[in-house]
Amino acid sequence: MASLIHARSAGPIRRALSRFFENGAAVAGLVILVPILLLTLTYDFWWPYKPNDIDLLAMNRGPSSAHWLGSDGVGRDIMARLLQGGRTSLLVATVSMVISTFIGFFIGALAGFAGRFIDGATMRFVDLAMTLPPVIFLLVLASIVGSGIVPTIFVISLLSWPVLSRMVRARLLELRERDFVVASHGMGAGLWHLLIRHGLPNTIDILVVYATLQVASGILLEAGLSFLGLGVTPPEASWGNMLNAARATHVLENYPWQWMFPGGALVVTVLAINFVGDGLRDAFDPRSELK
Amino acid sequence: MLQYILRRTAVGLLMLLALTVLIFTLLRLTPGDPIDAYVNPSLPMSASDLQMLRTRLGLDQPLPVQYFAWLGAALTGDFGYSIQYNGEAVLPLVLSRIGPTILLMFSGLAIAAIVGIATGIFAAVRRNKLADLSLSTAAFVGISSPAFLTALLGLYVFAVILRWVPAGGMLTPGAPFSVGDLLAHLVLPATLLSIGHGALIMRYMRSSLLEVLSQDYVRTARAKGVREFWVIVKHAVRNALLPVITLIGSTIGIAIGGAIFIESVFDWPGMGLLMINAVVRRDYPVIMCATLLTGACVILVNLLTDIAYAAVDPRIKVA
Amino acid sequence: MNRRNFGRLLAAGTLLFSTIPAVMPVPAMAQAGKTIVGGFDVGPGGFQGNFNPLTATAGFTWLNTYFEPLVIYTSDLSKLTGALASEFAVGQDNLTYTFKLVDTKWHDGKPFTSADVKFTLELARNAESGSIFAARLAGIASVETPDERTAVVKLSKPNSAFLSVLSQVMILPQHALSSMPVKEVAKSQWWSTQPVGTGPFKFVKYVSDQYVEMAAYEGYRGGKPKADRLINRYFANPAAAVAALRAGEVQFTFAEPDDAKTFKGNDSFRVIEGDSYVVNYIGFNHRAKIWDDLRVRQAVMYAIDRNAIVSSLFGGAAKLANCGYVAPQLLPKDLTGYAHDPQKAKDLLAEAGWDKINGDKPIPWLTYYNTPQVANVMAAIQAMLAQVGINVVPRALDVPSYNGIVRSEKWQDFPMIYAGLQNGPNPASLNIGLNAAQIPPSGNNIMRVEMPALTEALNTAMAETDPAKADAKWQQVCKEMNSQLPWGPMWVASRYGVVSSKLKDFFWTPAPAGGPFVSHPEKWDIAP
Repeated sequence: MASLIHARSAGPIRRALSRFFENGAAVAGLVILVPILLLTLTYDFWWPYKPNDIDLLAMNRGPSSAHWLGSDGVGRDIMARLLQGGRTSLLVATVSMVISTFIGFFIGALAGFAGRFIDGATMRFVDLAMTLPPVIFLLVLASIVGSGIVPTIFVISLLSWPVLSRMVRARLLELRERDFVVASHGMGAGLWHLLIRHGLPNTIDILVVYATLQVASGILLEAGLSFLGLGVTPPEASWGNMLNAARATHVLENYPWQWMFPGGALVVTVLAINFVGDGLRDAFDPRSELK
Repeated sequence: MLQYILRRTAVGLLMLLALTVLIFTLLRLTPGDPIDAYVNPSLPMSASDLQMLRTRLGLDQPLPVQYFAWLGAALTGDFGYSIQYNGEAVLPLVLSRIGPTILLMFSGLAIAAIVGIATGIFAAVRRNKLADLSLSTAAFVGISSPAFLTALLGLYVFAVILRWVPAGGMLTPGAPFSVGDLLAHLVLPATLLSIGHGALIMRYMRSSLLEVLSQDYVRTARAKGVREFWVIVKHAVRNALLPVITLIGSTIGIAIGGAIFIESVFDWPGMGLLMINAVVRRDYPVIMCATLLTGACVILVNLLTDIAYAAVDPRIKVA
Repeated sequence: MNRRNFGRLLAAGTLLFSTIPAVMPVPAMAQAGKTIVGGFDVGPGGFQGNFNPLTATAGFTWLNTYFEPLVIYTSDLSKLTGALASEFAVGQDNLTYTFKLVDTKWHDGKPFTSADVKFTLELARNAESGSIFAARLAGIASVETPDERTAVVKLSKPNSAFLSVLSQVMILPQHALSSMPVKEVAKSQWWSTQPVGTGPFKFVKYVSDQYVEMAAYEGYRGGKPKADRLINRYFANPAAAVAALRAGEVQFTFAEPDDAKTFKGNDSFRVIEGDSYVVNYIGFNHRAKIWDDLRVRQAVMYAIDRNAIVSSLFGGAAKLANCGYVAPQLLPKDLTGYAHDPQKAKDLLAEAGWDKINGDKPIPWLTYYNTPQVANVMAAIQAMLAQVGINVVPRALDVPSYNGIVRSEKWQDFPMIYAGLQNGPNPASLNIGLNAAQIPPSGNNIMRVEMPALTEALNTAMAETDPAKADAKWQQVCKEMNSQLPWGPMWVASRYGVVSSKLKDFFWTPAPAGGPFVSHPEKWDIAP
């Protein structure tokens, strides 16, 4: 099994990378993603408008040479808000991905390595977290911690980690009884040592794929939260709360540029990330040559 | 084995208890109570008008007292009365939402399964041809689109502009019940709901079938001169369906929680809509009962899955 | 069959399946008789899911189609007129109210008598019944019924708002409810399964979270209603109701201003515009320490270009408010207009030493309005305040969170709000939000305004029983508000309803809490 080979032999990773770059969709994903990232990160250097500058004399204008993507209900430039919104959405998705990956790995690995009792207890804890109805959890958590960028990150992270924990634990369970783990235990190796030296390298493929796809689902979750009025609060721009404008029929109908561009940007970005994630999954899966 | 099942059942019940404590605490940490939800802030209603209601509902009691009062009643099957829904008894109210939710979720899943499996087989058979590439891309787009956006657009196009289907609701108000009416209301939300699931199923089916098609017994069958159609139908599809069925099965456990976005856009009277309304109105008895019910479903499905695995693979018992 | 044919078969099957929704016929709405369907409980005046008039804080437009109060506001909301009371009179002592009752029957055929009035008023002032009128009706000393057609209510002290409270107390049938223990009344199934009223329509059924159905009450004293059935459909939000209106499934709904605009000039619909009777204001939390200096509050007023906001974001459909009122008879002559002047705002802030008071620290700005229009308004104000150096961060909350926070004592959580308060038809409505005696937990002075001169002016105006002299007293309140700025008054906006032109003789107005007001549901008619 490729995944059981120790990480210091770079062979499988290099092979995975080369498989990744042979995957057309995955490369296309990267080719879409990199410019989006560059644009959102640098827009304030080259775009004249600020995302929160209102202009009550230029409300609801369609795309023009001044406002490339038009303006919204208070005359803010859609292009500026789109790029700032992308920055917000990607920030929320990425940070929550990092947090949930960390929690997910740590708890999963703890369950996998730390013996039967802790395993049982943590897994029931994971089950409990998965049992919470997401609707209630989202609504209640968002009302307690408030809405805004930090609370949104918090909510998304807390909602996402249990799945990863289960996957990590399942992988490490096979490992627990293996000689080298038993041996390190016998030699008095601490739990931390086990987690980092044995847990991490043996689950790196799961982590990378999960992390990538989690960014995509983070973006979608942020949009969903904003739709329920719980995500990033306006006037701060995010793709989710820009899309929320489509709720009003008159915007949907008369000012399509106000929701079509953020909608398009969101779908394309999530699509590209999914392509990359899928490519990574295939690349790490030794059986993937079939596909 | 029996001991294992008993132990897991006991743990499941403990988890339910923990769930109620958790939800109860979370709810009370949320600012505002049912009485705060009662009053539009623009109306000249004084705080003392409302204090009497708070006392009447026992909301001024200490939290542990309130929790144990709830738990004691719940253990006898009394889940109390909805604070906002005009004093309706909670259990029948929540149970009445399970029907519509199951109807919507299962129709959505059925459409998703049929379309997903069919297109998955088709894409696998036509691997890397134009049809496969476009179907796979479409599936990716389906997975990547936010559910509320497709719901809003679907409602706008098919109900407001084209008027093919009604704009939300489950039955035409005032009309006598008819299956046709129900189906007309059901078809759009169910179809929109099936997009995400269908895309996922299609991708599972495709890769699973491709894997099976490369197995020895399929090669043998082909070598024996069995016609391609029968190879696919008789040998490959049946085996390839297994992981797909597992996927569909795992979705059913969470299905009872309802499809929050679709239900709220289409005013579908299911669990999702009930929960959103209950949280917005801080209707504690409804939230507690609905949580308990959905939680029990998820725990039950997890339990059954674990038992099934344990039955198949004795090694897992150690967990 | 070869592999290619198999693929075609699958493709055809998929295509067929995906077109099912397209070819499936929508069943014709085969409904007997004339049916009017509306979103009567959509918007701020509605209260979906509440059937008990004793616990109703809103939704009176709908409740009034089957229940009736003793007295009711006229359709222009200018004064009270009789409903179940054909005549009513107040005694010289301002304590005795005599009601002559109409001769009518309940929906179940039993006669309506003064015993029902006595029963209802006693139930409504008993907090055990869950009534939210208990505190406001506590002043009732006795209800006497000299004969079947007369009810006499005695108060323990004069209350100029008594009749206006009574207009929301729907009279209930004693014969149906008296056998129920008082504590069980609020959670009785009776309200949503078999309520009995005296109004033009009688209750048929409630389909949980979907709709309420009514049928014409043949014996209605104002004549048999023209519509055979009246249906109140429930919607999760006004946007969904507007979609159903456009799809032709409902004939009436409340609409957000931006949505209402799109119906103007469309012959199939009529847009109803009305005064919201709600003054919107920027609330300064007087215990948050940052607004103590009057010059700071003035600076906020001068920094905001209210004219530009009203003309662009409200499409002109709002009146600027320079105090709590906009009704001409309540406005004194020499009010400060606070015309847009950012330089003056900056100067005032500099004089007050704003950089020491707060500087550019972000100030949370709470609201309970979750509408796109208010989000835009707040974004515009945020930008305007930022220009003069006040950094506010808008945050929209759901109603219970908002109420929970503003009634608490954590001043730093709500230093500033954007809110509204009913300012009419009775100007006394504002007292509850501004009088120092109304600071929670007793009243609803959530901004903790403690201005002795303002409290004095309010008390004087409240005590004035002569309507002719009252306006001058309310002008004094307006003057205090205008000069001392307990709030930053903004505007009174219009609210909208949209009606299909198929409806004839339909009347609706955006009254606070849904009225009730005289709307004659029995005259509502629908063209085929």
